[in-house]
Amino acid sequence: MRIFKNLGQALRGLRLNRSNTVLMTLGVMIGIASLTVIVAIGDGIKTKVLSRIANMGFGPESFSVIAGAGRMFFTRSKNTTSMTVEDAEDLLALPTVRLVVPRQRKSMQIINKKEFTNTRVYGVTPDWQLARGWKMKDGDFLSDNDLTRRKRVIVLGATPARKLFKDQDPMGKMLRLQNNYYQVIGLLEEKGMTESGYDPDDRTLIPLTTSMSRLTHQTHLHSIKVVALDSSQVPETMEAVRQILRRNHNLSVLAEDDFRFITPEGIMQRVTESEQALNRMLILVSTVSLLVGGIVIMNILLVSIRERVREIGIRRCFGARRSDITMQFLFESVLVSLLGGIMGVGLGLSISFALERFDVLPTHITMEPFILSFVFCSLIGLIFGIHPARKAAFLNPEESIRSQ
Amino acid sequence: MNLIEMNSICKSYRNIGFETRVLKDVTLHIKEGDYVSIIGPSGAGKSTLMAIMGCLSQPTSGEYILDGEEVGKLNDRKLSRVRNEKIGFVFQAFHLLPGVTAMENVTLPLVYAKNPPGNIKERARELLAKVGLEHRLHHTPGQLSGGEQQRVTIARSLINDPRIILADEPTGNLDSKNGIETMKTFDNLIKEGKTIILITHDQEVAQHADRIISIRDGQIASDSKVSHEEQIRSL
Repeated sequence: MRIFKNLGQALRGLRLNRSNTVLMTLGVMIGIASLTVIVAIGDGIKTKVLSRIANMGFGPESFSVIAGAGRMFFTRSKNTTSMTVEDAEDLLALPTVRLVVPRQRKSMQIINKKEFTNTRVYGVTPDWQLARGWKMKDGDFLSDNDLTRRKRVIVLGATPARKLFKDQDPMGKMLRLQNNYYQVIGLLEEKGMTESGYDPDDRTLIPLTTSMSRLTHQTHLHSIKVVALDSSQVPETMEAVRQILRRNHNLSVLAEDDFRFITPEGIMQRVTESEQALNRMLILVSTVSLLVGGIVIMNILLVSIRERVREIGIRRCFGARRSDITMQFLFESVLVSLLGGIMGVGLGLSISFALERFDVLPTHITMEPFILSFVFCSLIGLIFGIHPARKAAFLNPEESIRSQ
Repeated sequence: MNLIEMNSICKSYRNIGFETRVLKDVTLHIKEGDYVSIIGPSGAGKSTLMAIMGCLSQPTSGEYILDGEEVGKLNDRKLSRVRNEKIGFVFQAFHLLPGVTAMENVTLPLVYAKNPPGNIKERARELLAKVGLEHRLHHTPGQLSGGEQQRVTIARSLINDPRIILADEPTGNLDSKNGIETMKTFDNLIKEGKTIILITHDQEVAQHADRIISIRDGQIASDSKVSHEEQIRSL
């Protein structure tokens, strides 16, 4: 009962000291708004990454083995030459493996008369299309015949096709790679740029044999893509692959792998890790800004109490206990903090919405900021309100009634 | 029975090592229904005496029994309750909450009452009507004249139905017409059985009381009954 009356008095106090209320609210509002935006961006990135991984052609039953030790996309040795077509053949012999795609990769200039562009050239086998499940926009994919006869044919992704041919139809045209001409036999369907700026369409494909004999003049592979029969068999398949490759590469028991795996889970984990690191930093920043907000509340409340000494004295004269005064000012600080929180969430949501709307950053709105800000604001109000409130309560009523 | 019983009250303030003795051994008894004026020049200790009487501060030494209860040693909680239930304050500077309507100002003591009555608004309206402000219920202090503001404070002092009205220079900020009005209100309250203690330095105001206590240098200089004839003469 008493608690509600003091709450009422606090509301009245806030209403009557409007400018102080607004100033106190601002500090918290900014902190909470940034917190809201951060959470929304974090969730947005996670959501997009999930869909991007699905787009990368990594079905849950496939993974890649890349030459060179290291982790995921980072290798320590650039020129590992140990992985060969024989490795790929041995892997295909595994009972749980459905498809194996050995690959060579080279970034280079590709030229159509006066037009040229830099792109990634992959030497692959015809199974590549099956493993990726990538449809053709026009023409055909590389055939077994192209592979065995080391034909100089090329399949273009949407990006190099656009850059080299503008509005023309590239089908059947000749392109130059180094000193050889290749005929365009097919066009891949466009996938579109991912949020991280990775362009899956920026690629061209030629037969692996052609790549080895005419382009790279090397026999070792960049990577092998392995598709298992079933996603549940991926872990055991990876282990079997590891054993075969270690044996083929004559690695001693103590030597570390000279190859590394890329799996959908691995990518997800990496993305999550970097996102968490970013999130931690941003949350630190917004916590600091919330602390600043709290200190603003405390300072303004202290000033406000000095202005309201007489009011406190009057209340004490007519029977307010110290605890009543404490409660009233605590309520004021908590209410102001919550008000700031509500406005901050509102502002944060608007910003998040705008970021998504104008394609700046992906955002995803959840219940999290609402709960977080409610908890944070109540705490801030209590922690930073207690000192001013106690100070108000312990004013001498006799002196405060006389103050001007 | 004495409603207020002060025995050898001393009050001193310590300030940077100096001790100022404001009240020196004040002994004072006031009966229920008494109409008492406390007069004295400024600095004599009137306000300090009132603060102790009103339970706003505690005596340094001595015994203060209010309505049979030794209040000198009560904790904040109990002391606040005594203020809330037994004493109604009227101040020279009115001390109304700014920006708050007359109605709400009058009901302020009930915010802190232990058992507030159910018909709070009704009571506040009645009291404001009694002081002639039934047309000013929803005005804030800034919209009221000095006289009206003082009448609001009187209504506020009465809302908890206290036994003692403590008025500190109630006419000090008023013109003579409003001053007379205010004093009439007090004169009427005596008839209702309230105990009124007026603190003033105005002889004319003091004459309204039945008993005048004069304070000088923190001590009671004189304590005299005012005869009826004298009262009439002074008017």
